[in-house]
Amino acid sequence: MKRSKINLMIISILAVAMFVTACSGGNGNQQGSGVNNEDAVRVIVAGPMTGDNSEYGIGFANAADLMAEKWNAEATIEGKTVVVEKYDDKNSPEEAVTVANRIVSDGNIPVVIGHFASGVSMAAAPIYQDNQIIEISPSASHPDYSGIGDYIFRNNTVIHAEASASVDIAVNDLGKSNIGIISIMTDWGVSTSGIVKEIVENDFPGANIVAHEEVIEGSDDYRPAISKLNDAGADVVITVGMYNLVAPVARQYKEINPDIEIVGFSNAYSQQLLELGGEYVEGVAFPVIFFSQSDDPKVVEFVETYKNKYGNEPSALTAQAYDSVGIFLTAVQNVGYGDTAALRDEIANLEYDGVTGFTKFDENGDVDKSFTKVVVRDGQFGLLK
Amino acid sequence: MRKDNIAKSKLTQLNNVKSILIGVIIIGLFLVPFVNTNNYYLNIINKVLIYIIMALGLNILVGYTGLVSLGQAGFVAIGAYTTTILTTRLDMNFFIATFIALIIAAAFGLLLGLPTLRLIGPYLTIVTLGFGEIIRTIIIIWAPVTNGPLGIRNIPRPSLFGIELTMNNGGLYILTLVSMLLVMLFCHQLYKSKTGRAMRAIKQDHTASIMMGINTTYYKVLSFVLAAIICALVGSIYSTQLGYIDQNTFTFDMSTMILSIVILGGMGTIRGMVLGSAVLVVLPELSRSLMDYRFVLYGLVLVLMMRFRPQGLLGWRDSSPYPLSEKAKETMDFQGKRGV
Amino acid sequence: MGIQQIFNGVTIGMSYALIAVGYSLVFGILRLVNFSHGSVYAFGATITLYLISFNFGIMPAIIAGIILTGLLNILIDKAAMEPLRKQGAASITSLITTIGISNILTNLLIVRFGSQRRQFPSLFPDKTMNLLGVDIQYTQIGMLLISLVLMVILVLVVNKTKIGLAMRASEQNMKAAKLMGINVNFVVSFTFLLGGISAAIAGVLVSSYYGMAYPNMGYVSGLKAFAAAVLGGIGSLPGSIIGGVLVGISESAAATYLGSEFRDSVAFIILIVVLIIRPNGLLGKKEIEKV
Repeated sequence: MKRSKINLMIISILAVAMFVTACSGGNGNQQGSGVNNEDAVRVIVAGPMTGDNSEYGIGFANAADLMAEKWNAEATIEGKTVVVEKYDDKNSPEEAVTVANRIVSDGNIPVVIGHFASGVSMAAAPIYQDNQIIEISPSASHPDYSGIGDYIFRNNTVIHAEASASVDIAVNDLGKSNIGIISIMTDWGVSTSGIVKEIVENDFPGANIVAHEEVIEGSDDYRPAISKLNDAGADVVITVGMYNLVAPVARQYKEINPDIEIVGFSNAYSQQLLELGGEYVEGVAFPVIFFSQSDDPKVVEFVETYKNKYGNEPSALTAQAYDSVGIFLTAVQNVGYGDTAALRDEIANLEYDGVTGFTKFDENGDVDKSFTKVVVRDGQFGLLK
Repeated sequence: MRKDNIAKSKLTQLNNVKSILIGVIIIGLFLVPFVNTNNYYLNIINKVLIYIIMALGLNILVGYTGLVSLGQAGFVAIGAYTTTILTTRLDMNFFIATFIALIIAAAFGLLLGLPTLRLIGPYLTIVTLGFGEIIRTIIIIWAPVTNGPLGIRNIPRPSLFGIELTMNNGGLYILTLVSMLLVMLFCHQLYKSKTGRAMRAIKQDHTASIMMGINTTYYKVLSFVLAAIICALVGSIYSTQLGYIDQNTFTFDMSTMILSIVILGGMGTIRGMVLGSAVLVVLPELSRSLMDYRFVLYGLVLVLMMRFRPQGLLGWRDSSPYPLSEKAKETMDFQGKRGV
Repeated sequence: MGIQQIFNGVTIGMSYALIAVGYSLVFGILRLVNFSHGSVYAFGATITLYLISFNFGIMPAIIAGIILTGLLNILIDKAAMEPLRKQGAASITSLITTIGISNILTNLLIVRFGSQRRQFPSLFPDKTMNLLGVDIQYTQIGMLLISLVLMVILVLVVNKTKIGLAMRASEQNMKAAKLMGINVNFVVSFTFLLGGISAAIAGVLVSSYYGMAYPNMGYVSGLKAFAAAVLGGIGSLPGSIIGGVLVGISESAAATYLGSEFRDSVAFIILIVVLIIRPNGLLGKKEIEKV
């Protein structure tokens, strides 16, 4: 008797859980409900909203919300409201495929802003391409990503240009010639460090690479790699990773060699770098396409509103997501929302002037941007002279 | 006598109803891609089927023989990578590549099964867990073959009689469904067979089964190998659906998910795998609107289910063939607790 | 360079040992592999960081964080594990429950604090001294000393006190201990408290060593500490220390001589080799199988 009671309880728990979630799932994921789908321009943001990388997905979503608010306040698209819908892929390729299928099955979605990691974006991209949905990833960096199809774009810099800028900082601005490389073992880390090596060999005859160490992202202890770089006599280290690699590497390197110079990449550009690295990231330099202290009024406005709303400064990737949404909405304004093929052509040809500079996709769906060199000085980001 | 007969005929009636029901469900499942044009639902059903197969594989280890593995994702990875490497680099036919993948997975199952024979409880758990992690490391460092962290993309879809099987024409789904049915049939037969009985005997009482003359070494290794083969089969099929694999596709989370399905559904049963997989795959989908609380709910469901139904949704409390007094059960559970 | 790597390995190994103690103590008494322990460790570090942000002093915040983590561990036991014990559920059921708890805990932390790494203040002066050619940071010395003291205290508690006697009795035979008038439930709660406290201390020390804390920090460390506990012989305190230090050194050596990509799996490779030779770990007792 007792058992049947318990069974009943379980079934009811499950049923209630399923019911509640299914009900709210009906109009789920929508921010700013009460808007009829017909009158809405739907901005779909897909990325990690839960789990280890949720900071980036949430950054994307925040950027999209902000851009949507801006457009709604100006009522730029006639008769339509911009609504943001968020899809969580947990940064897992498996979930991303499910999310992509869900977006496809909706039938009325022309553009997806997202997927964070390249591996995840590339698992989803063929599905979008097959179903002629435009994917704009603010972060995917795998060399093969944009080659998946003509509906696949990224508002992230081509590695080559950025790597050149980094090496340029190391050799010309800092005046060092013994370069050490420490890179994360992800698709981006592997291909970027390869390109850095090539550039040093071909374009910078005076400099040479003394050591290259690969590390697992998120292992926090980089001392073994660092002591090898140090023993090899590196006087500048190019750190191929995000802020969560640059900060601990700077800290752990300066413990054994306070004179080391550290050069990073644009995705190290985050308020978190200063908070996490403290005094140790002093002097860390890297190229950026988005610089929050720029006096460009667009950037000032974006940084201001972002800070007011979320309490911290937007990072490079967040800014790239912000512009990705802007590109999409501008295209909608120009050619309307209904025709995906027209939208794709418009996005491919659009010249967009946003917070991450001037954006124009090339025939692959990649962008090329100009870089600003930034250095950490007195606990602040400043321009490198 | 008459009572017996009535009971018997009722039982056969029930069995008839059951087999008709199963038949209807199977036919229904085959029709899904032709009736339903919504890729999302098809994808979810497909994912449920995929996880059913994995759970069926692990079930042989956990449910039949009573060995806990937390490294099944490693075997899924072996299947996926072997098949993918063979089809992309050597242009091999998918089905031949899968067959080779199964043999390699079997070898790895043997490799993992042999040294772990002396191990019980947490020792076995950690070794299987370690196996999964080591496979991931191998994928990263063996870059010339596995392409390392760059992963393998553009995984070709299998084709049968000249027709490419895709998600859109339902071919991949049917392939998954057929594989699942075959594995299910295999597990069903295995359970009833002499081998299956020997495995269950080992789970019930290891020492007693040695006394009975059961070659426990053989059956333990066999269950490792069978579980490995089934999980590798899933890997082969699943990789063609994902289209892109890297070392982060097959993580410890996948291993715990498979084990959770087996336990939640009710280990040792086949229907349990179906229900367990359905619940654990569909629940995170239904709860998408919860956003960041999605996996809090997932954890909560695991905890509550174990709290109120420790034997699993469709599991039995105990499978002793003869009734035991409460007291005897207590001692048995206690010993079980110390042993496993 | 060799001695330097070994020293670095020992330092990080001691923190694994502190986490491993939690696995070991709980396993000794309950025969339960507690997969929520990694997230409890992360909870300890994260909650301490949160308390520090209130500016009522670093030491009080750390102590409060450690106590809170201990209490959380008791709560986990009371809410989820004890009912299972009362039902006499199989250990695999408890294992799944702990996986569920780990999910709940980690995701709640991420919802509340975000997944990003956040700066954790240094507890020791940021100085390095050179001893016989080995660079030793004050932080490392602090970590080593605190871990060692804590280990000694734990061993003393288990071997010299009344509650320790009760713990050992419950470990031998829970039913008999109950019959002898030992409040087994209290003993279990106490064990979880000890496990939680040592995990939180490890969390604080490691966070201060790396200068950062984040909700998912327990994922890899938890698995490695589990490996350390099993390597040393799960259920044995000295075993946890040996296991932890071995894992730490092998990791450091592997990262130096083989490459960083080996560091996460070398612990498991060594573990498998050791278990093939000694199925119960280095210091593990042979489980007496009942016939």
